[in-house]
Amino acid sequence: MNNLFDLLLQKPLPDPWLQGLLFVSFTLHLLFALFTLGTAILAFSYLLIGHWSGNPRALRLAGRIAKAFMGHKSLAVVLGVAPLLLIQVAFTLPFFTSVNLFAPYWLAIIVLLIVAFLAFDLLAHYLDGHRLIPLILGITGLLTLLVVPGIFVLILTASEHPAGWITIIEQGYRLNGALAIHWLFRYLHVLGAAVVSGAAFHYFFAAEDKEERKSLLRLLVAGTLLQIVLGVPLYASLPDRPEMIVNFALFIGVGGAALFLWYLFAVGSKGDALLSLEITVPTMMFILVSMLLGRQLIQNRAYLPVMAALQENTREHSREIGAFTRESLARYQAKLNVVYDNGATIYAKSCAFCHGELADGAGPEAKNLEVKPENIAAVRTTAPYLHKILTEGVPGSAMPYFTFLDRNKLDALAEYLNTSHHLIEKPEPLPVVISAATLKQAEQLYAQACTPCHGNDGKGTEQSRGYRPPPPDFTAYSLTPRRMFEVIGNGYPGTLMPGFGHLPETVRWGLVEVVTAKRDR
Amino acid sequence: MEFPIFQVPYLGNGMTIALDAVLHVIISHGLAIGAVSMVVVSEYLGQRRASRDWEGFAKDFLRVIVFLTTSVGAMTGVGIWLITSALAPRGIGSLLRVFFWPWFIEWGVFAAEVVLVLIYYYTWQRWTGERKKHHLRLGLGYVAAAICSALLITGILGFMLTPDGWPWDKSLWSAFFNASYLPQLVLRLGIAYSLGALFSVGYLVFTRRERDFRKEAFAVFAKIALVSLTVTLLSAVWYFTVVPSTFKTHSLYAVMTSRFSQQPELFWEITIGGAVFLLLFWLVALRRSVISVRLLVIPAIVVSILFVAQFERVREFIRGPYLMPGYMYANQVLLEETPLFAKQGMLPSSYWYKATATKQGDSVSQGAYLFAQNCSACHTIGGINDIVDRVQGRTADGLYVIIGHTQEMVPFMPPFSGTDQERRTMADFLFRLADGAIKLGAPSRFAPLNGGPEHE
Repeated sequence: MNNLFDLLLQKPLPDPWLQGLLFVSFTLHLLFALFTLGTAILAFSYLLIGHWSGNPRALRLAGRIAKAFMGHKSLAVVLGVAPLLLIQVAFTLPFFTSVNLFAPYWLAIIVLLIVAFLAFDLLAHYLDGHRLIPLILGITGLLTLLVVPGIFVLILTASEHPAGWITIIEQGYRLNGALAIHWLFRYLHVLGAAVVSGAAFHYFFAAEDKEERKSLLRLLVAGTLLQIVLGVPLYASLPDRPEMIVNFALFIGVGGAALFLWYLFAVGSKGDALLSLEITVPTMMFILVSMLLGRQLIQNRAYLPVMAALQENTREHSREIGAFTRESLARYQAKLNVVYDNGATIYAKSCAFCHGELADGAGPEAKNLEVKPENIAAVRTTAPYLHKILTEGVPGSAMPYFTFLDRNKLDALAEYLNTSHHLIEKPEPLPVVISAATLKQAEQLYAQACTPCHGNDGKGTEQSRGYRPPPPDFTAYSLTPRRMFEVIGNGYPGTLMPGFGHLPETVRWGLVEVVTAKRDR
Repeated sequence: MEFPIFQVPYLGNGMTIALDAVLHVIISHGLAIGAVSMVVVSEYLGQRRASRDWEGFAKDFLRVIVFLTTSVGAMTGVGIWLITSALAPRGIGSLLRVFFWPWFIEWGVFAAEVVLVLIYYYTWQRWTGERKKHHLRLGLGYVAAAICSALLITGILGFMLTPDGWPWDKSLWSAFFNASYLPQLVLRLGIAYSLGALFSVGYLVFTRRERDFRKEAFAVFAKIALVSLTVTLLSAVWYFTVVPSTFKTHSLYAVMTSRFSQQPELFWEITIGGAVFLLLFWLVALRRSVISVRLLVIPAIVVSILFVAQFERVREFIRGPYLMPGYMYANQVLLEETPLFAKQGMLPSSYWYKATATKQGDSVSQGAYLFAQNCSACHTIGGINDIVDRVQGRTADGLYVIIGHTQEMVPFMPPFSGTDQERRTMADFLFRLADGAIKLGAPSRFAPLNGGPEHE
């Protein structure tokens, strides 16, 4: 049993392990993400060159490059799972917060990648068809694919600048000033890395002759040069001065890149010489790893204070909620034991807090309501009318509609109410005897004072049916005589129904009879 | 309450995850497990019966499957994760803690799956003759890896409905091998093979094939499908016997929703009707009638997809108030936080509210934030499950009372978390919203809906 109540505080592995695994798995993911992007850019470029200059050789190369897309993108996705898992565990707060800040963009990644993947896989398949098809597929795929690293870079940039989170929330998604410039160079740097990685990969695996290799080698040289050039403003746009260790990692990376360039020039100037896989792969991995290490260290420095603050807050919060653990588990157990499949339970849980355990309208919440809950025990109605009230509620009151309980449950509830309170019955006879004269007087009074709202037939009027709450339909809904006598005398609190307590008692009983009689019509 | 909140306009947060997840289930079960297994069977039959038709069918079909699984399938799968990290960071963050190792192992399994299916795909034409045997083994290896994925993920899915002893002992084993683990696993495999056979027949009738081969293949797939459907049906029954009654009793409503909840007979008519239709479809396929199959296969696929959606909807819905039963409510509030927030308040405990609210006294932004935090996992303003429809007609004091009893009155709703004053604030906010007194602009990605002029 652990002492930490909040799971977000738990670390399944010690921090150095988590961060080490994150670094390794992210490097692998990025490698294939760069291959994917590079493959897409190169395939499309050679496709354009092929169509533009009517060069079938370029088209064939484009075809061979595009065939690798399926493997690259599949591995990029699958290798992304581990870093996604690890970053959420290692850097919970900055990661989730930045994802939240850019949620619509983050969610768009799913759609963008599906479109891009389908487009490029189809492109590789339909390269020989009508020239427009690969062109349209290529444009669609490339446009959607190029957006994705932009979003990732955006989210990472934002996550590394916790001080800017509030600004992002308050001013919307705009990235302003220095951050925007930093984002731009970082994004271009990713694209550059993609071209270099793609060119290197296809130099070895797609190119079949000297011409093709030469073309890819040119790209490799230009790309590497561009990366070094782009690195300068990227470094300059870092918002904080990097630590020595970061500078060291980047320096080693740049050194590696310079050596790599020298190697590329040396091979390129020797006419027929080929790049060696044994030299190229370790050198490029060395550059990638040292650059990513620099990046990771910069990111860690931004994340760590935020993580420390979160842990402090959460630890404090955990101590506070710890006091409620036992009680909460007991409540959960109690919840599991209650099944809403019978009228008694449904009444006790869904109705009693207003209508009271005795169904007398005196539930604990009745005091908070202006329109008092009905004394259900005194209601005499029909099954369809009850069902109507339960499924439509009573507008202008607290009584909600209960369609979240299916028909079987509502029927069980109705049956329970009928068994315990005779709800679905005709009203009982009056406890007093009424003379014909009084009855006549009451009838006249009803026509005069009651019909404007309740209607001559007791069904309400066009106008009163719009009242909030509306009067009930007397042909289907009545009360026990005593309860009705009470309502006629005192009115119904919170509604337009006034009290008629000033009338003689016999007349009030007469009114009860008049109203009750409408049930039989 | 350490993360900002994002509310998906119109669809709502729950529906966004659901749409992505159902699409993923159809592809991961139906194609990645089911259909690839059918490809392996077809390749085997091609060998065994020395049939170029079986071999060609298997090869062509695999291409379509690989196209779809490595793009739509993979991205909707990762998509569930991307969506939840934006919409339910506390939920996914906590689940990752409980299931760190299964998830980490799943990474390896997933990688193995992709590598194997790619090799299987790319070596089809090269590994012939003597090596064909190895190629078949490769296919079987892929299927085994795909089933391993199901073994791992089912534990997490089952946990979210039947966590068993986990809330008390917090042990991975009780969480993973929970009560609904086995029945759900069998059920998912049944679904996978039913869908796989169906997709195979779909591909078979809409691509150019020999007439006799088609008929031969119909019979094979129909037999597999009839067995799988029986397994699916039986394990569905088994599954529902282990689901606690307190959850199970909402199954009917989960499918019928408020709109049709008063016609429960409709549920049975549709469900049984759909099942009978699928059985009849396969019996027709068994009789090898090409025209009937061609006519009926699309409706059969639609019906099957609806069944999958129905099962996932029921499973996700009936766990009702909980995201992690016994630990976290659906709105990402911990069970222990509800009593704490009743004392301390939810707004003072919400980092982003405190950090961003420019007008902390403004009852609209307070109400909007309380709504976002408490309700927006399921309800939207102006979209699906619109809160305005739900509270229409209620008085302000009525809403105040109801908000205090949501977890009893509506058994699949979580309780409101906050002080009495906050409960009143949210009730007034909802009342004025339903009344038209508050007009909210486009639902904001943040609550508080920053109280700007577009909201007042």
